[in-house]
Amino acid sequence: MAEDNTQTIPAISVTNLSHAFKGHQALSQVTFCVMPRTLHGFVGPNGAGKTTTLKAICTLLKPSWGEIQVFGSSVRADPISVRRRIGFMPDHFSMYRQMTVFEYLDFFAAAYGLQVKQRDQVIHDVLTLTDMDGRRNDLISSLSRGMQQRVSLARVLVHDPDLLLLDEPASGLDPRARIELMEILRELRRMGKTVFISSHILSELAELCDSVTIIDRGQVKFSGPMDVLLESPEELPTYNLRLANVYDNVAARIRELPGVDDVREPEFATGRDFNIQLAASLSANDFLRSLLTLDLPISSFSQQRRHLNQAFMDLTTRGVRT
Amino acid sequence: MISGTLTLFNWTLKMDSKSIYPHIIRAVFSFIMFFSISAAFVDAFGTSRTGLRFFETICYLNVLLITVSGVSYFVTAVTEEKDAGTFALLRLAGMTPLSITLGKSTSRLVSSLMLLVIQLPFTFLAITLGGVLWQQIIASYIALAAWMILVANLALFCSVRCATSGRAAGLAGAILGLIFVLPNVIVNGLAAFPTRFVPVVISDSLKKIPSAIGTIDIFERLRGLLQTDSAIVFFGQQFWISITVATALFMISTLTLDLWSAPAQFGGPSEIPSIRRWSVGRSWRLAVMWKEFLFFTGGRSFFIVKLIGGGLVFAWFFVWQNANGGVDGLTLRGDYAWNAFETFAGLLAIEVLLYSSGCLFYEIRQTTQSTLAALPVSGVRILLEKAGGCLIALIPTAFWLAVTAYCGYEGIARECSMTMVISYVILLCFSSHIAVILSLYTHWAALPLTILISAPAFFFLAAPILGLTAVTTSLARSQHIESTLLLSAIVNMFWTWLFVLLPLQLWIRDRWNHISQF
Repeated sequence: MAEDNTQTIPAISVTNLSHAFKGHQALSQVTFCVMPRTLHGFVGPNGAGKTTTLKAICTLLKPSWGEIQVFGSSVRADPISVRRRIGFMPDHFSMYRQMTVFEYLDFFAAAYGLQVKQRDQVIHDVLTLTDMDGRRNDLISSLSRGMQQRVSLARVLVHDPDLLLLDEPASGLDPRARIELMEILRELRRMGKTVFISSHILSELAELCDSVTIIDRGQVKFSGPMDVLLESPEELPTYNLRLANVYDNVAARIRELPGVDDVREPEFATGRDFNIQLAASLSANDFLRSLLTLDLPISSFSQQRRHLNQAFMDLTTRGVRT
Repeated sequence: MISGTLTLFNWTLKMDSKSIYPHIIRAVFSFIMFFSISAAFVDAFGTSRTGLRFFETICYLNVLLITVSGVSYFVTAVTEEKDAGTFALLRLAGMTPLSITLGKSTSRLVSSLMLLVIQLPFTFLAITLGGVLWQQIIASYIALAAWMILVANLALFCSVRCATSGRAAGLAGAILGLIFVLPNVIVNGLAAFPTRFVPVVISDSLKKIPSAIGTIDIFERLRGLLQTDSAIVFFGQQFWISITVATALFMISTLTLDLWSAPAQFGGPSEIPSIRRWSVGRSWRLAVMWKEFLFFTGGRSFFIVKLIGGGLVFAWFFVWQNANGGVDGLTLRGDYAWNAFETFAGLLAIEVLLYSSGCLFYEIRQTTQSTLAALPVSGVRILLEKAGGCLIALIPTAFWLAVTAYCGYEGIARECSMTMVISYVILLCFSSHIAVILSLYTHWAALPLTILISAPAFFFLAAPILGLTAVTTSLARSQHIESTLLLSAIVNMFWTWLFVLLPLQLWIRDRWNHISQF
């Protein structure tokens, strides 16, 4: 029964969240929802209100207006129990650099009320997960940026939170460290954690996240499954076709097939790629069947999806908010 | 080089003039001048030397401020760049070591010298009040300026030598402490030990140290100048030697800037794990208290050092007393008891102020306040645990203070009343709260500002404390209640907490919660 409850109650529910600093409206009627055991991306240009929203969710900021619930608990009414269920990693390096990795994690584990024996096990587990077990006696100040980020992530995990709130976790990391971090996040999702990640690295978010919220100038522009966001915005579905070889007059031959509205070759095409727009009445299945009659060696066939970059650019406004 | 230095110099001066806090310091200083005039007038009423008393107060206050600035304001000139990780950027921007040391330290020195200059017209009031000549005022300010230049360059050297502002402040504090304490220790030490135990060569060499340090001793110079019968020399030996030493320190700082600013080596283990395990141990259930004690106040090893150091200081007063024929078991007598008590009370006050001004700033500097605030405990509990960690670190000094009070009760009681003790405790509580608040606004200037505010505040607090003590004592006597002093102490502490400390505590809590959002 309890299992069902955790599946249905949203991990994060933000309703009509508004906040102003010194007369500047940072957030305006922000509303979105994050389901448990998902990886949710939170995307927006600089100054869009991402960090403000994150801080309000993790109880550090009391918003001027609106309601936030974490696993059904109100952030405003019951911040202490909310803090027990979340792990917040800020966008800056927030570490005691004169501690060793072990002391740092031991401190946070004790602060969350774990007993000494439990702490030993938990610290071993989180260091193994983040691949930092070999550096447990190193001073944090002696670690590279990527390693410090791993220790930060390990710190967030010591009290086994259900929800991880990560603010720009990959900023400043080299490509290898970034890929490794994304791998750890995937592993955390497999472990049943809900991960709410604010990031600028859109390509990685597109691959990683189940759902996404795009915020711009303090307002939510989109919130929902990643698939829905990445679907082509055009009215008629468009498909990408790639052939194994280059053939003459292929576009014209496809265009003659029944139900095909338009066939275009993409920019910088090699003669093997085509974008095909079908009539609403024609299914992809029927089209493929008729395409096979042309006896062309098909390498791949897929529905065209927008890249997250494109979706982001379409939904957000140029320039920095003043 | 010139353009880089000027840019850095201009930028630092502009930042200083745009910031509200230096102006507040100047305003507070003006208020203190007014206060000193009033206090001196009351103190020397009816005598012909009111002006001299007023000017003496100003001079010694300046020495205190300059010295405190050395360990707080000047000392961060280079370390603030190291702390922020921007030192390498300055070097990349083509700034030479000379540009950096000139640009970073000179601007601070200039703005601080301005503080002395703005006082000058006011201090001429002392001439009209009587007892001091204009030549004495000018010569004293020249001596103070030389002391400031020396302190600023000593702090610059520490700032270059150390990797963090905290270490630099510690080093500067230790050197300045030695300048003031070492001559006394050597003179009294040599007097205490029978001559046959100290070889002549060593004792002769040691005897030269106090006179060498005396050449830059600002107190000695001011004492000399303020004796009305002494001949006035504007640029005395103290000025020239201070300037020479300051120039040498500046040159060493410039030449060694690159040597001591190399980035830390990455990848190595911290130290031998078994030693580290002993000195740090496992986190306590009150984790924030553990962190504060271990990583802010110096932890177990520093605790033991302070305990042993306190014991040595205590033993020193015994040796000193015994050497002068005052052997009396484990009892300290007369001046020895009072001097020991003053020393430990002073050390306790310094320690309290250092911890208060640094404990929250330490979180802000490491940008860890939001991580700490996200723990599942209230902000008040975090603040209390931090205070608890600092209180543990105060145990060694408080212990030796208590031992001194026990062993030298009669000598101390002759010099100091219970009201003075109550005033000391209340002022210490007040100053520590002020230091915490200021550290949440001004960061490195918290310590000198606290001293600036606490000095006049003491006089405002002292009157009600004395009055309240008198009222409580006479009320208790009229009701035939014994332990009237204890009762008055409790009543005093309660009212002070309710009307002075509690509002400050609420202020600290609100400010901390506000800062934790960032």
